[in-house]
Amino acid sequence: MFIETAQCMKTAAVLLSLKDLNRLSVRGGARRLFSSSRCLSAKIRPPPQRREKVEIPGLEMITYGERMHYVPGLSKPVYPVWERSYKDPRYYKSPPAEKMKLYKDTPCYIFNPRSNVLEGVRQAEWLTKTKRISGLPPHLLSLAENPENQLPNQDERVQNAIKHARFWDTTEARPRKERYSNTLLLNLLHLCATLQSSHPAFGRRMLSENCSIAATWRRGEDLFQVRGQNSLLYSSMDPLPEASGKTETAETADHVLETFYPVSPTIDLQKVHVYKEEFNSTGFKDDYPYPHAHTLYFLESADPHFKLLREQFRAKMIMFTFGNALARAHRLYGTQPQRVLDRPITVQAVGTNGRIFQFLVFQLNTTDLSGDDGIKNQMWLDEDVELYDFAKVRPLIKKKQVKVPAGLAGYKPEVFNKFLALYLHGAV
Amino acid sequence: MAARTRLSLLVPKNLPPFRNQRLVHNEAAVREPAYPPVVPSLTAKSKSARLRQIAEQVKKIRGSSVEDKLSLITRIQREKFVVYPQTFARNADRWYQHFTKTAYIPGLPDRFPAAVERPGVDERSTSAGAPPAVPGIDDGAFADIRTLVTRVILQERWYMEKQRRLFLYRHQERVFGPLLRTLVSALTCSLARYNPLLRSSSLDLSRQVNFYWRRGQRTIPKGHRRGRLEPIRFQIDDCPHSQIRITQQLPQFTPLEASYSAEVPEVTYRPDVMPLFRRQYENLIFTGAKLPDPACYGHTQFHLVPDRYHRDRMACQQQSDQVEVFLRANALASLFAWTGAQAMYQGFWNHEDVTRPFVSQAVITDGHFFSFFCYQLNTVALSVETDADNPRKNLLWGTESLRLYEGVQDGEVVGLNDDVLKLLVQFLMNHP
Repeated sequence: MFIETAQCMKTAAVLLSLKDLNRLSVRGGARRLFSSSRCLSAKIRPPPQRREKVEIPGLEMITYGERMHYVPGLSKPVYPVWERSYKDPRYYKSPPAEKMKLYKDTPCYIFNPRSNVLEGVRQAEWLTKTKRISGLPPHLLSLAENPENQLPNQDERVQNAIKHARFWDTTEARPRKERYSNTLLLNLLHLCATLQSSHPAFGRRMLSENCSIAATWRRGEDLFQVRGQNSLLYSSMDPLPEASGKTETAETADHVLETFYPVSPTIDLQKVHVYKEEFNSTGFKDDYPYPHAHTLYFLESADPHFKLLREQFRAKMIMFTFGNALARAHRLYGTQPQRVLDRPITVQAVGTNGRIFQFLVFQLNTTDLSGDDGIKNQMWLDEDVELYDFAKVRPLIKKKQVKVPAGLAGYKPEVFNKFLALYLHGAV
Repeated sequence: MAARTRLSLLVPKNLPPFRNQRLVHNEAAVREPAYPPVVPSLTAKSKSARLRQIAEQVKKIRGSSVEDKLSLITRIQREKFVVYPQTFARNADRWYQHFTKTAYIPGLPDRFPAAVERPGVDERSTSAGAPPAVPGIDDGAFADIRTLVTRVILQERWYMEKQRRLFLYRHQERVFGPLLRTLVSALTCSLARYNPLLRSSSLDLSRQVNFYWRRGQRTIPKGHRRGRLEPIRFQIDDCPHSQIRITQQLPQFTPLEASYSAEVPEVTYRPDVMPLFRRQYENLIFTGAKLPDPACYGHTQFHLVPDRYHRDRMACQQQSDQVEVFLRANALASLFAWTGAQAMYQGFWNHEDVTRPFVSQAVITDGHFFSFFCYQLNTVALSVETDADNPRKNLLWGTESLRLYEGVQDGEVVGLNDDVLKLLVQFLMNHP
């Protein structure tokens, strides 16, 4: 780097604040403005134009290659490109996309765990051809109201679980968000799992972590895929019962999906030209003893470098639940699009950030997703349900009055009942 | 006085009995001392003043609540030896036994019927009419547990399609870590039916366990405090793979008095020689959850042998004999820290020794081989002044490593050893 540029950088760093520098610098190797004045919105000078090299055929260029050192006036020698005859993984340059084996002209739009879709739940509904119903199905909620299905000392134990996750889990004053949300989810799952002593049907289920899912479908003229790793999957030997009757399913044929023109439904999805067609994988081999997906558990802070807003987090839940259902439908009924499935596949999902829960029940009625007509899939979404209001280590005091006391405040038992209902569904 | 009253010099030994009877009823009442007791100074620069300061501090700690006790004991930071449960040091188990005053007893306590010596012989000798090996579980239930364990192993090693990413020295963590976690949670929940303790238990995954104590003393060799005696401080910072904490205490394996005759190896060298290194940082005492947690007693810990200490690597370095030593040292340090922290949470400390033994269990595995350990903490008074006439010793029982299964082939678990599985189930079934 030249000395002047270095000096400019130093003075620029002194005069400009970090925020301004960030605003100017763009990821991806764009040009930076290292001027030492405070003028920030100045036009960035265009990059210097290099002289064009003119190739005159037949003209022998005299180079300084033989002399082994630079000689002013002679041209630079051009050597043939050397390629290794053996394969060394440290120095492997992948070929451009067009030359790869799996390259296709038509793009595929992939929804991966880091997708942050603009339109959130509406976009997920459109992509999965789903009708949305707010609130969970009532027959599901009644499962947890039954005192036989509840835990002994349920409120006290759930509150202890919350306090353990929020206060007691670490030697420091309070655990960090990604840690307490993870601990809370595992504690609640452990509480539900201890019901196995009174409900032997829970022995027919298994929890698995970090299994990957892949599902492909056509919607309109575009090809879509859901690919990625599930954080927690609860699978079962028996399929879940249907969440809605046949009449309601038939009524969805009249429902019109909400579009968000002029925004394209493929916005914010990863567009690739190198992909495997008809790639469907549940993450397990075909003879896995627990083939049916029961519930997916999502954590908002699973990836600490990447945060999603609530709407986008719900969209991610919907897409991955749909992906799991679709992959299993393809395995059961084949990859040809089916107008109506004989037995609709139901998959549940729970997402949390440590305090606020989102509950989802998804029912896959059809795999024929290319057109906008016909029977739609259904989903019941219960959004932004708070398990408790505050869990503070130190009380919040404003103007010498205690606004929020220390400890757990505002615990709502009905939210755990919903969690338990989703857990019990299919076993009771 | 004898001169004035002309008493004879020879005073009779036995004076006549009723001589001073008239004085009996007129005796004055017990007199209050006119002056306060003569005790050494508190602030003088003398050894007796130092002793009195220590006595005052001990009295203060005795009279405070458990939280205050913990903070007073761990308040002052000084350089201490950091004891790593998983260590590369040779013959670490003898050193750790000396540091923690623990006696090692091969085999398991009587509560666990004959630990597997030779797996092949036991399998052949069990007959259909024999009583169930695991008390409280009949054969049908054991068959269900066996199927569950097989399914868990197959799920992680066969059915799940995993992304094959390159990683160095993380094979154990990536391959057997999830397997052990799923196994522990599945077994805990399925055995909750037979063991009421597990129904109200708490499962911790990779949570730290810390303990701080003093044992022995040394003469400071150099510095402005040269020549003075200083207690040797130790700290264990452990992170078990998973642990089960319960609300009630497990019953003792043997009475306290039975530990008096146990032998603890004595190591005459300084701990530096082991090698062991000193650092100064926060003194922590932690069971896995803070004091207010109702599940303050420990049941079982599960440890995973990391790649660095895997038996194959040890065999390459010609240290195969150290494999069992490593496992024993790991169990000893981890369980001592856990039981010690549990005892301190109940208010027992150096000068107030435990009134009842604290018991915990551990299973250490590298994915194929399982070793089972039981620990009984009989004494927490390990420092020089309290250990002088303390006959109690802590006890560690342990098995050699036993193979649970050979491998996974074509969707089947090959060579699943029922006896090792029974031992694992018995461990989890332990309850008062």
